[in-house]
Amino acid sequence: MSQKRYLTIALTKGRLAHDTLELFERIGVNTAGAMDKKTRKLIFTNEELGLRFFLAKGPDVPTYVYYGAADIGIVGRDTIIEENKKLYEVLDLGYGKCRMCVCGPASARKYLEGGDQIRVATKYPNIAKDYFYRRKNQTVEIIKLNGSIELAPIVGLAEVIVDIVETGSTLRENGLEVLEEVLDLSARMVVNQVSMKMQNDRITELITRLRNELSKNI
Amino acid sequence: MIIKNRVMHTPEGMRDLYGKSLQDRRALMKRIHDVFESFGYSDIETPTIEYFDVFSSDIGTTPSNELYKFFDRDGNTLVLRPDFTPSVARAAAMHFADSDFPLRLSYEGSTFVNSAEYQGRLKESRQMGVELIGEDSAEADAEIIALTCRMLLASGLKEFQVSVGEVNFFKALADKSGLDEESTETVRELISNKNFFGVAEVLDGTKAAPEVKEAMQKLPQLFGSAEIFDAAEAFALGKREKSAVARLRRIHEILCGKGLDRYVSFDFGLLSKYNYYTGIIFSAFTYGTGEPVARGGRYDLLLGHFGRENPAVGVGLYIDQLTSSLIRQGIPYGR
Repeated sequence: MSQKRYLTIALTKGRLAHDTLELFERIGVNTAGAMDKKTRKLIFTNEELGLRFFLAKGPDVPTYVYYGAADIGIVGRDTIIEENKKLYEVLDLGYGKCRMCVCGPASARKYLEGGDQIRVATKYPNIAKDYFYRRKNQTVEIIKLNGSIELAPIVGLAEVIVDIVETGSTLRENGLEVLEEVLDLSARMVVNQVSMKMQNDRITELITRLRNELSKNI
Repeated sequence: MIIKNRVMHTPEGMRDLYGKSLQDRRALMKRIHDVFESFGYSDIETPTIEYFDVFSSDIGTTPSNELYKFFDRDGNTLVLRPDFTPSVARAAAMHFADSDFPLRLSYEGSTFVNSAEYQGRLKESRQMGVELIGEDSAEADAEIIALTCRMLLASGLKEFQVSVGEVNFFKALADKSGLDEESTETVRELISNKNFFGVAEVLDGTKAAPEVKEAMQKLPQLFGSAEIFDAAEAFALGKREKSAVARLRRIHEILCGKGLDRYVSFDFGLLSKYNYYTGIIFSAFTYGTGEPVARGGRYDLLLGHFGRENPAVGVGLYIDQLTSSLIRQGIPYGR
């Protein structure tokens, strides 16, 4: 490799990015002010290590990595499964732990047993479809929403929802509960296939250092 | 006169080519064709439309729902070819006398895959490639890999990696593990995504022997340059795995002799959803595209599907991926 290339890392905006930058600081990588919430900069460069960070919306992270615009991405397992792109999934970072669940009012439980055609609202149509069609063999109508999914059963748009549950407090406040569990989730590190081959040494070293740091906490 | 917009546009995933970009592309394809000729390959043309059976799931190629399908007058299912290898294998089984083997055939043309995902990927894409039919040896494998390096160099690329694996290493482990077909498929996908914690999760609940589990979990990490052969040997439990490693070692020696070893690395976790591969398997990677620019491997059982068993190895080059990576790397590729 003649000229020096940056290793570009796409982070999911929000808590996941915060936890990840903290982890990088712990292994001695200066994250170049990316933690500063007030900044309007989009990209942060660590010249000394040849690293670049940027923040993106969750569902876009696999896209950036798939096309090689980022070599590495940090993103939730839910997004990886939902976007279903060909990526290397190399590390379970352990934080951002939560569950993908079917939720609704307690009275909706009966719909999940019978063969009734029900409506399911979700931000994750692929995961929901896979769960109902392939694992439960139940025909349902899936409605894609972009936020405040809990609203759907309350106003009568859908009988149940498929969504991420962390503590369950939003559900309880709105009279909903977890009816079935679909998947366990946590933050993952994904790598572009080409980058993994072309920059194997640097990426493997980074993975090893992160893995060692993570295993300290267990 | 009002012209409806619809007829002015090509359908999604199809495109017009003209002017300088077409000239440049033709020049590039000419240089690649010259490489084929210099290795002693001669052209073959197969039809764009084939019977569905040529690409069916027993042969294990493109998933059925991604094929363009239609019917002939007698109600037979026809498809637009999604890749060339089964077509060329069919033609080789049909037309040549035993004395013609080993055959060295080259092809070029469009392939059609109706992939549903919104990934900006073309549905009609141009492929060039070669098949070496009738020889099962490390020399034949190395010839195809050397040709792959030579054609990528001829395209103008300077930085690329051909990553080579051997499917028997995984297949032997899968047989030993006693996993059913579905779990084997899940593990295969997890390994090819380098997801070893996922592999561990799936294997935990099964009755596979501990050393088989350990070797399977190690597979996603068994990649790198020639030094990984020793590590791979440590996990080679049976004869089949050992001979897979030995084959790759021999290929590496031959490529060293040709001065091409710096373009080649090895990856025991490289597996394919194309079931027809039976030996080496490889992908060529470069900057500027998210996907391999060329793919290939050995498929010793494919010709048997067409009534004439014969070992074979080949490579296909994706011209559209290649031109887009040349453009992104700022490498002029015209005359």
